Amino acid sequence: MRDPRSSWASPWLSGSIPVLVLAALPALLFVGVLLYFTLWAVVFSFTDLELFGRKATDWSFVGIENYERLFTRRGFLESLWTTLTFTFFSAIVGQSVLGFLLASTLRRYRGSMRGTIEVCLMLGWLLPDIVAAFLWSATTSKTGLVNQVILGPLGVEPVNFLNDYALQVVILANIWKGTAWSYLLYSAALDNVPGEVVEAAKVDGANGWQRTRRVILPIIKPHIGTNMLFITIWTFTYFPLIYAMTGGGPGSQTETLPIFLYQQSFSVGKLGYGSAISVAMLAIVGVMSIFYLRLLKEPK
Amino acid sequence: MSTDTRPSSATSAALAFMAVIWVSPFAWLLSNAFDTGANGQLRLPAEPGLGNFLGAMSGPALTQFWNSMFIGVGTATLTLVVGSGAAYALSRLRIPGRNGLLWSLVLLRMLPPTGILVPIYFAAQSVGLLNNLGIVVALTVLNLPFAMLLLKNFFDTVPVELEEAAHVEGASLPRILWRVVMPMSRAGLAVVWFFTFTSAWNEFLFPLLFSRTEDAFPMSIGLYSAFGRNGSIEYGFLAAFSIIYAAPAIAVYFLLRRNMNTGFAGVGVKG
Amino acid sequence: MKAPIQGAAICALFAGATPALADVSIMYPDWITALVEPAIEAYEAETGETVTSTRLPTDGYDRRIAVDLAAGTAADVVVLDSFMVAQLADAGYLASLDEQLADWDQYQQFMPALLDVTSFDGTAYALPVDTDVRMLWYNRSVFEEAGIEMPWTPETWDDVLETATTIKDETGIDYAFVLPAGTKQGEAATMQGFYMALLGADTAEGERNRLRNWEEGKWIADSPAIRQVAELYDEVYNQRELTEPSINYATDLGNATREALASNELGIFASGSWERSCLFNCNGVDIPSPEERAEIVGWTPWPSSGAEGAEQGANVSGGWAMGLNAGSGDMEAAKQLLTTIFDYDNFQPWVVDNGRMAVREDIAASEDFAANDYLAAVTELSANTTGRDTYPGYQVVSSLIQDMTGAILDGVPVDEALEEYREALVDEFGEDSVMTLD
Repeated sequence: MRDPRSSWASPWLSGSIPVLVLAALPALLFVGVLLYFTLWAVVFSFTDLELFGRKATDWSFVGIENYERLFTRRGFLESLWTTLTFTFFSAIVGQSVLGFLLASTLRRYRGSMRGTIEVCLMLGWLLPDIVAAFLWSATTSKTGLVNQVILGPLGVEPVNFLNDYALQVVILANIWKGTAWSYLLYSAALDNVPGEVVEAAKVDGANGWQRTRRVILPIIKPHIGTNMLFITIWTFTYFPLIYAMTGGGPGSQTETLPIFLYQQSFSVGKLGYGSAISVAMLAIVGVMSIFYLRLLKEPK
Repeated sequence: MSTDTRPSSATSAALAFMAVIWVSPFAWLLSNAFDTGANGQLRLPAEPGLGNFLGAMSGPALTQFWNSMFIGVGTATLTLVVGSGAAYALSRLRIPGRNGLLWSLVLLRMLPPTGILVPIYFAAQSVGLLNNLGIVVALTVLNLPFAMLLLKNFFDTVPVELEEAAHVEGASLPRILWRVVMPMSRAGLAVVWFFTFTSAWNEFLFPLLFSRTEDAFPMSIGLYSAFGRNGSIEYGFLAAFSIIYAAPAIAVYFLLRRNMNTGFAGVGVKG
Repeated sequence: MKAPIQGAAICALFAGATPALADVSIMYPDWITALVEPAIEAYEAETGETVTSTRLPTDGYDRRIAVDLAAGTAADVVVLDSFMVAQLADAGYLASLDEQLADWDQYQQFMPALLDVTSFDGTAYALPVDTDVRMLWYNRSVFEEAGIEMPWTPETWDDVLETATTIKDETGIDYAFVLPAGTKQGEAATMQGFYMALLGADTAEGERNRLRNWEEGKWIADSPAIRQVAELYDEVYNQRELTEPSINYATDLGNATREALASNELGIFASGSWERSCLFNCNGVDIPSPEERAEIVGWTPWPSSGAEGAEQGANVSGGWAMGLNAGSGDMEAAKQLLTTIFDYDNFQPWVVDNGRMAVREDIAASEDFAANDYLAAVTELSANTTGRDTYPGYQVVSSLIQDMTGAILDGVPVDEALEEYREALVDEFGEDSVMTLD
């Protein structure tokens, strides 16, 4: 597509490079600010800075103490495991798979059915987290909707879902809340799949599943990769819904890393330790994203 | 891909069932919003009425609505403007390692906002931005990496040939951008604008710290006035207010929906 | 001071702090509006100056006030939870009231025990707004069903555990004895749960039932009292499974207990004096009359562990307070606003109307306060009350306590949970500032 002989830009643009650079300058400034804050987190992860009290002003460098704490004190490793479970089931399996299924099914629909489902998905996406937490708590409590409408009539003893299945409930709630994004992304991606290719596969005798696996999925692979990266980042750092629903409990069953970080930074007030947790989270997702990048880079 | 067979009735039934599952949690919201004696439990309204909505709309709700609009529209627009400038340049100039650069920036966004809230606060204070404009700037900083990656991918899908053709015909750069690039990536711009808007619309933490006076509070803080001391909650207010609070964002979604449904194809990275 | 905070502080002179010079400002949480607003009007009428007031949602208030004071952007008059006072005073954010209010004739009316709570190093840094006491609430209809005699007057923890076990066996309810635990409730788990048990755990002699030894100036990592309380938690949540843990982590804690009471799933509940309305509806909507409420729930002071010399009915109190920003641009004006708020004629009606416990002698002695039977009864409990160990660092200790109770509730053995607590204390304060009592 592009002329390989020109090293920087298409010939028609080569006269406008200064303009383009100028256009990028504000973004550079903003990115610089973001880098500054990131650097701040990195630097202060080596200090004993606290939010309140004396160490808020009179802090000092403590070496890698905060990073040692990640492994020697209860909390970080347990939360990491919970976060991975939460992210895997609610985002990668739940939102992504459900979003894809919905997108591929609803493509065949026009009008009210499609509109209704889209609105339902969007309502979840747009509702403030704190309210979504109340909704889900009221739905799964012992006197809640599931017990009243489904289990009760079946003669099953009421179940306190947030007590017995806390992690499962927050995973479901997050699927409910976040599927809209994956759905919108995949339905647009599927619009890009040329109809002739699918038709050809059909003529060759491929059934629905084979057509999806051999033809459609490879074509939309880049979209799957980007989506995975985005929802992984979002879910890994997602805080308000779980915090409001269970505060990480019962015990520490639903204590994901953002909740752990929040507790340490704001309840305990140890900003230095909190920064170390942030940096560790950054590193972990950085490693995960290399995997997604691979997915994208594979030859088509 | 428009040649598929008509959906079976079994699929339709399954979809209808799913829709029911998806909206059923809203039973709590509605039953409390229309119950002036709401007590936070799932029940038929004991004292049905619109009192909660009147209560939610009286007081500072209108001021808060405009503040939320300022924060939401301001953040989305600033992000879009700043992001597209850089994204277009990154898309057209073959800077080595630009993809890796963008991806690392997106990763930086991994840092949870709570983790860097304190330095952001001090920085905003030192430049006199402890106000709603400061919130717009701070949220733009945080949203920019995502926006730039998405926007670059959208610009990548605009064929360079079209721009070249316009150039040959003598069109200037601004004119090409306005007449060729913008219309063809309009959908992508809408997507980025919408998602930045919703995240800013729902933001609570930054306004809590940055908005110095009550006149400057957005609706996200208004929502929290439902929560009192010792865990007391005004459920009727909370439910009614959150319906009013979510409504504008949903309206914005419908205004942009046509654009977005065609626009998402550009999101994928062409690796 | 070091950068960037130093830089921020310098810039504050130009940016954040300037409005304070023009007129006096105040920041307060929603729930206290009825006390503050009339005083602001009175102040404005008297001085002709305007007050810049910022009312915040109660939820999130703590975060904002801490960041504000640290950054020098706080209002002149600040409202804060009393347990934050020592820490903020230590950091130099609050002005000493003993100095500022020396010539205010109503200052002596504040009860010394409550001024202690808002003091640091023997100097008061805030005026208490209200206070509370803690007790065990019980559900009369559940007790009746389980055949337990009322009024219920347990004398030891064992009495409580036995009663709760009977309730569980006889009625099969989910929450026979709710003992607050875990991190979600924050201070509530420390205060209503751990601290209340701790105060009656060991002999009352020699300050053994605390988290801090004030004479030595050290935090207590392990003591017979702490160990006994940890075992009590283990007994409640693991050995006897007297309550489902989730009630400590409910999305809406108030609603969870309220619903449990309404559906008779709640037996005994360790909580505070506010529950008299909050067990029904904190906002007073649809609330039964005081007599009807007394028919539904009863309360009893916390018993002791039963150990020799352990004290019955020991109590710990918290509450909110109001102080002056040490960096205020106009201390005189701030002082005047503060004293207008706490003036008898403004303060007393609010205390009575809202059913708050009195923090001043003259209000406690006033006729319409004494006419309230419930307030009179709980004020008796406050005769034997104490404050938290709010030495700087208390907040960390408190959250470590919450972690410990959460771990026990999660099934971590008591010894292991206590060892982790000790390690965390040492890590936080250093070996020299931590001690063990035998």
